[in-house]
Amino acid sequence: MGVSKGWYKFSRNPLSVLGLTVLIIIVLAAVFAPYITPYPEHAGPFTNFRESSLPPGPKHFFGTDTVGRDVFTRVIFGYRFSLLLAVVVISLSVPPGILLGLIAGYTKRRSLEIVIMRVTDIFLAVPPLVLALAITAMLSPNLLNQMMAISLMWWPWYCRLVYSVTTSLRHEYFVHDAELTGAKKAFILIRSILPNCVGPVLTKITLDMGFVITLGASLSFIGLGVQPPKPGLGTMVADGAKRLPAEWWMTVFPALAIVLVILSFNLIGDGLRDMFAVEEI
Amino acid sequence: MLQEILRVENLKKYFYTKQGTVRAVDGVSFTMNQGETFGLVGESGSGKTTVAHTLVGIYSPSGGEALFKGKSISMDYTQRAKSLKKEIRIVFQDPGSSLNPRWSIKQILELPLRVHDSCGPKERGERVRELLRMVELPPDEYLFKYPSVIGGGEKQMVAIARALATNPSFVALDEPTSALDVSVQAKIISLLLELQERLNLTYLFITHDLSLMRNMATRVAIMYLGKICEVARTIEFFQSPLHPYTKMLLSSIQVITDEEEDLKPKKIISRGEIPSPVNIPSGCSFHLRCPEKMKICVQVDPHMVEVYSGHFVRCHLYPGQAGA
Amino acid sequence: MTIPQPLLEIKNLHVRFKVFEGELKVLNGMDLVIGEGEKVGLVGETGCGKTTTIKSVLRVLPIPPAMITAGEIIYRGRDILKMSRREIPSLRRGEMSAIFQDPLTSLNPVFTIGQQLEDIIRHSLRNQGMEKVSRRNIRSRAASLLSETGMPDPERILKSYPVQLSGGMRQRVCISEALRVNVRLLMADEPTTNLDVTIQDQILRRLDELVEKRGTSILLITHSLGVVKHLTHRVYIMYAGNIMETANTRELFLHPLHPYTQGLLKTVPKLTGKGISTGIPGRIPNYLDPPTGCRFHPRCEHAMSVCKEERPPFYSGGDGHKVACYLYRS
Repeated sequence: MGVSKGWYKFSRNPLSVLGLTVLIIIVLAAVFAPYITPYPEHAGPFTNFRESSLPPGPKHFFGTDTVGRDVFTRVIFGYRFSLLLAVVVISLSVPPGILLGLIAGYTKRRSLEIVIMRVTDIFLAVPPLVLALAITAMLSPNLLNQMMAISLMWWPWYCRLVYSVTTSLRHEYFVHDAELTGAKKAFILIRSILPNCVGPVLTKITLDMGFVITLGASLSFIGLGVQPPKPGLGTMVADGAKRLPAEWWMTVFPALAIVLVILSFNLIGDGLRDMFAVEEI
Repeated sequence: MLQEILRVENLKKYFYTKQGTVRAVDGVSFTMNQGETFGLVGESGSGKTTVAHTLVGIYSPSGGEALFKGKSISMDYTQRAKSLKKEIRIVFQDPGSSLNPRWSIKQILELPLRVHDSCGPKERGERVRELLRMVELPPDEYLFKYPSVIGGGEKQMVAIARALATNPSFVALDEPTSALDVSVQAKIISLLLELQERLNLTYLFITHDLSLMRNMATRVAIMYLGKICEVARTIEFFQSPLHPYTKMLLSSIQVITDEEEDLKPKKIISRGEIPSPVNIPSGCSFHLRCPEKMKICVQVDPHMVEVYSGHFVRCHLYPGQAGA
Repeated sequence: MTIPQPLLEIKNLHVRFKVFEGELKVLNGMDLVIGEGEKVGLVGETGCGKTTTIKSVLRVLPIPPAMITAGEIIYRGRDILKMSRREIPSLRRGEMSAIFQDPLTSLNPVFTIGQQLEDIIRHSLRNQGMEKVSRRNIRSRAASLLSETGMPDPERILKSYPVQLSGGMRQRVCISEALRVNVRLLMADEPTTNLDVTIQDQILRRLDELVEKRGTSILLITHSLGVVKHLTHRVYIMYAGNIMETANTRELFLHPLHPYTQGLLKTVPKLTGKGISTGIPGRIPNYLDPPTGCRFHPRCEHAMSVCKEERPPFYSGGDGHKVACYLYRS
């Protein structure tokens, strides 16, 4: 499928294009944070009590927090952690999920299929936040452990998704044909079945990015994620919450930042779904 | 010179489901000779597709035997020799799902070559072009196209080219043109006939279109709920059908010339629906819909009897020495 | 042959679809007339635009990407294409209905047949101003509609879900839905193509009986010439968005005039065993860049230079028999 045709289908959704644009801006901002933010040094241990708790103004777009750090700068740096979390979790959880889903869906050995899927079910049965809490609490709370904890409970979703696509495809005639021709099992899995999973998997990844970021922010909110003085978005929301409603800017802007990035991922998801849809007139 | 290429003896294939046992194929026997076209006719639930799928190796039989060129093929593809996979090929019913939507036509046609021939990429490329030319699809146009942009007829041509890529001797064609328009069907059928002659192929041809079968097959067998009701040479099958189901089917087809209308058996109003294969009626499975039902039909399942030379029927109207 | 009082007249309909590669100029001036109580067949192969035509009449074309660039669809004196959105539902409820090819996708899988049928009956009664019909009354109407289509044991069917029924039964349900109220026009798009031959036969007979009894007009769309021969008064032969030929059914089969019609009839396998022709050379046109003039000319063995220039008008072959072909210019 040609790239330009894919883009054509994607761009039929103006909202998806908007989402993509916003996301690109956020990513670029996060990557080049030290160069584009007005006070990059505020993203770490910095205090300036003379300029603390200032409302939004021309010198500090989003105001300053209780110790005098520029909120705008910290929000942009905060995106770094959120995006890093999303990328790492997806990279760690998607490949094993896909692999297990393919195997469980295609194998003729029912026992293998049952084992894989029941393990998946077990992981899925535990509420995500609880599991992440438990793991992070056992280990010391920091971003790294948070990423590992979330990855550990994320792979089952992909396993299940790929499993359902695989089981529906394995009886398709083109798969039978490859089998009857004599192609090896691994070849069939990777070249015949996997390419047909790409669409749903990619769409799910974009939607999941939003969930992962929320989960990360939630963990940080309760103190199990990004530790101060690092500017995690969830941590910032927690700190600022104590100052509501008078000094609202310390919570509201980080919260809006979270909403913005999740929204843009979700909007992209719609466009992706259309891009992979089969055409019919 | 008629040489037997396939022998099927009492073939059975059962599927075990929550609703019960589906006896998709329940004791089917026939033989095929090299170079002929053996036709299998039946409606939904008759088991004709399952017969083809079992012979080709998608399933292993639940009972009975199948012999190809003297060697047993009563197992599925996981246990078949590679050489067998070269010789026995199939063209599936639904062109839409028989080609991988994510592969280009070049990749689709290359797979059988990669598995079976040990030629290099350049030779393979040439062979793929040759295959496309054989089914009258210009290679330059079609090589890099994807299935979603070509029509149903063209997809079937690609499927045929794919089946013939390994120089097989036996090809099962499961309703190859049912989803296609008449004019496209005509093109594909004439192509199939020409290729059969040129490459000395044996066809197992499955369709529900009796007019098409009349022009394709050398011998025809009609199936109902997993069993063969009647087998005969084509002309006899159409001119002097014996089984009530055959007559019912023949009288239902819509023909367009008066000449053909005269050839049809007297109108038998078809009654009822085909029973679910999980709930096969006792005795002769056709008795619920049969206009000639007798008492014995409800109780006893008839045997296959050779009424005329080469013409077999399984019906209580033709009792006699069991033979097949 | 006189066409009885026209019920539906499609005049010069042009429909295009916008896609990535450009515009698909599908319908290129479609003309069709159906009279009151007439049984009309529309024969054409896949991709010729038959489904687009019915969708235009029912106003269910997805606009965009579809565009109706010209033409009128006159139903009982009014142009459907000019009707407002609010007027269309009553048209669909009381005047016209349709049966489509795949009954499984036409029925909602999560409701029982009874629920769906009763819903539809209730809506159409409301449309006629009869609001206060009791539930029991509606249910018995549903049951009688089903048994009219030859369904055994209607009570059991009403309680079943679509997936529990066979293809033939589902299609019978769709027919009941379509004929729930005395609609004037029924459009059936390949209603029996996916069904077994014996069931096809049964269903088409029933449909024929029901339509005759009520005096409903029917537009039967199919690619099967055999079906059309036995069930219609008049036939239209369609190719690539245009009508090529039209005549009384018997006349068309006896004296097909258009080269495409002749080709089609030759390609149908005959029970006599005389063999199958090699088909019509060429392929259906690419709608992005369709042939100029007569759209069939690239595949026609009688093509002349005028065929490339302008689309042929209808020439009369006597007694209502019309051919769009320059071969009959005199």
